[in-house]
Amino acid sequence: MNSIRHAILLGIGLIIAGLAVFLFKVGTLGYPVSAKATTTVWDFEIFLEFEGQDQPARLEVYLPAGDVERTFPQEQYYNGPFGLNLMTEPATRNRKAVWTYRYPSNRKVLRYTAQTVGETQSTRLPDAFARGGADLIPYEADPIKRQAFIVWTGDLRRRSADDRSFVDLALKEAFEPRDAGEQYADEIAVLLEGRSGVMGRLELARQTLQSAGVPARIANGVYLTEARRRVEVKHWLEYYLDGQGSRFFPEGEPSRFFTIWYGDRELVTASGVEELDVQIALQAERNAAVDIVRRGAGDASRIDRIFGFHSLPLTTQLVYKVLVTIPVGITLLVFLRQFIGFKTLGTFMPVLIGIAFRETALVNGVLLFSALIILGLALRFYLERLQLLLVPRLGVVVIFIILVMAGVTIALTGANQAIGLSISLFPIVILTMTIERMSIVWEESSAGEAIKQGLGSLAVASMAYLAMTNNQVEYLMYQFPELLLVLMGLCVLMGRYTGLRLSELWRFRELAK
Amino acid sequence: MLKTYQALRRNGVIGINERNITYVNALNPRKLLVRVDNKLLTKQLAQAADIPTPELYGVIANARDMKHLPEMINHPDGFVVKPAHGSQGKGIIVVDGPLKGGWRLSSGRRIKLEDMKFQINNMISGMYSLGGQTDMAMIEYRVKFDDVFGKVSFKGVPDMRVIVLKGVPVFAMLRLPTAESDGKANLHKGGVGAGIDLATGLTMRAMQHDQLIDVHPDTAHPLENIQAPYWDDILLMAARSYDVTGLGYIGVDIVLDREKGPLLLELNARPGISIQIANRRGLRFVLEKAGALASDKLTAEERVAFAKTLSEKAADAGEPVIAPV
Repeated sequence: MNSIRHAILLGIGLIIAGLAVFLFKVGTLGYPVSAKATTTVWDFEIFLEFEGQDQPARLEVYLPAGDVERTFPQEQYYNGPFGLNLMTEPATRNRKAVWTYRYPSNRKVLRYTAQTVGETQSTRLPDAFARGGADLIPYEADPIKRQAFIVWTGDLRRRSADDRSFVDLALKEAFEPRDAGEQYADEIAVLLEGRSGVMGRLELARQTLQSAGVPARIANGVYLTEARRRVEVKHWLEYYLDGQGSRFFPEGEPSRFFTIWYGDRELVTASGVEELDVQIALQAERNAAVDIVRRGAGDASRIDRIFGFHSLPLTTQLVYKVLVTIPVGITLLVFLRQFIGFKTLGTFMPVLIGIAFRETALVNGVLLFSALIILGLALRFYLERLQLLLVPRLGVVVIFIILVMAGVTIALTGANQAIGLSISLFPIVILTMTIERMSIVWEESSAGEAIKQGLGSLAVASMAYLAMTNNQVEYLMYQFPELLLVLMGLCVLMGRYTGLRLSELWRFRELAK
Repeated sequence: MLKTYQALRRNGVIGINERNITYVNALNPRKLLVRVDNKLLTKQLAQAADIPTPELYGVIANARDMKHLPEMINHPDGFVVKPAHGSQGKGIIVVDGPLKGGWRLSSGRRIKLEDMKFQINNMISGMYSLGGQTDMAMIEYRVKFDDVFGKVSFKGVPDMRVIVLKGVPVFAMLRLPTAESDGKANLHKGGVGAGIDLATGLTMRAMQHDQLIDVHPDTAHPLENIQAPYWDDILLMAARSYDVTGLGYIGVDIVLDREKGPLLLELNARPGISIQIANRRGLRFVLEKAGALASDKLTAEERVAFAKTLSEKAADAGEPVIAPV
């Protein structure tokens, strides 16, 4: 028959369309399929506080480079009255914020914040760095240091076999701890004179490596090891040897870090201010991985703005969060009715009851629901004796339900039992309709049939509730609304199921002999 | 479970899903359904086509009509009140006759005029109609049922259900009230269903609550081999119901009156499928056969003649039939 083929094509088409978008988002855009997938996001902050001196002030601050290798979503600048200029140093590709103001007075605060996923651990050094040419002649200005440098590097060269052993030896000796009084040989002492801290040693190592034709640079950044308000800036050496990028961390290698700037200059260069206080703060925040994908600058966020719910106001989003799970309950109900043969009161009543359970939680909901239905039915049969007409009788039942619910709420609050019994309009309507339907079935079929349908409804409602409130289901439906097409397709296909239901196998068991 | 499924498929048993998709939805155009959903209209259509129905005493559609209720129900032999849009026998009041200033119900209870008005008001306000739309209450002749089924009935009125596909009667059964079904002949309320052989009008074995039985649960009388009188007339009425409604798949409910013979009680556009158990065979093969041969060119008499060849006893040897146990 033509309509069968049409229905099957439509159903399969809908399923394929929905799944295609779903798989594209998962496969190509990198949406995680599980609600549990989380990533740590580091909130990074540079905080400058200083006293204005009523004279032109200029503060240059290095910012994390906006590399492709790191994502820095949501950068923000708090400028106060200052003018902000963003600059990039071509040679080092350092990014710099330059804050300026003509006559600052009193205390001023400038702030830069950004978020990073901090996945720098496996970042490759850029290829451009490998081609970095030879530096200027080392220590050209200082003849003594220059002499010492030539002697030391010449000695290193003699004691090494190749570039690698040369680098290893140079780094070892440059960072060899020495006691203050120890006599050491002493080109290194000469070379470190006046600048013997980590920075001086790194600079020495860098010059040594460069002179041997190994591109090297000093990197400055922070270790993503702990979250705190005052984070120390760390320095390390990056060099490029045998076509491979390497890093040398004088203080041991951290598991995660990110680079802010290159070179031997300070993080902040300031003029015209006093009492400058620089703070770097780090804060770890576990986020759903999907938020990272969405907030990024890629295709995902663009598609999300078109097809997702995230462009809607927050309250509307919350409504849709519930709404998109209802089709799951409905599909489940269709399955239970068409394939299993569940008997329920009304068609979609069980799903509505399931939604009502959201506000009471399952056990409370089932108990409250059963109790109210029994009370409501009792009232209804009593009213029957008074010979009230249908609509007024329904009205009395509604008022009665509200009264009982109010009573229950007040009693529970009075007993100081905050069991989260939130009552809203919706369950009352559902309850009343259920009672009315059930009483009609009761009267016209039998008490047994009414109870059977009531229990069937309660069972389907509980299943629908569990399905609709399942975290994973909620997550999938909300992040991938295209799955609605899949559900729709399933319902279309189930609508053409002409086979027997599970309950009919039992019903017609005599005919199977 | 799979074995049961396969066995049922092999025996041509159809389920509710198949009935709805393949027969009800495909053969009963929605716009024609009003002809069976509105029992008053059914009655008028049937009368126009010379299909006998119980006499209509009056219709109550609003409070004004209610004033005439005492005149409408002034029948010492009793009467029946039913909602015009009711389904599955819901809301029907059967009154046997006057009793001590009130009325005696078929169940033996006494009902006062006040209570009856209340129930009729419920009917009018749509308590028994689909979607709760306002309804009408029909007051009509109470069938004095033929004693031929007296030994296999417990109170109430037995009736015959004939499934008609495109004007061809395909399955028939006798529906008998029991104590449990409260005088109603509906199977889902506990009534007994006995399959009727189309060719002869003789009952075959029977069922209650989806299980096969041999004797009536209340009267203990055997249910097999009871001859339905006026059988050819009954088949002809069923076949004509198609001409009247244009619905391709209906259940025709016919009662047997002691004086007036078979009367069309109502038509059902979604007849139940338990009739398969009463006939102890699935509907599918018979439906397919009838569907292939049925044609609007055939007269009702020709369709009845064709229907008789569909009988289990006249069935081809090759057709899958559940052998009588």
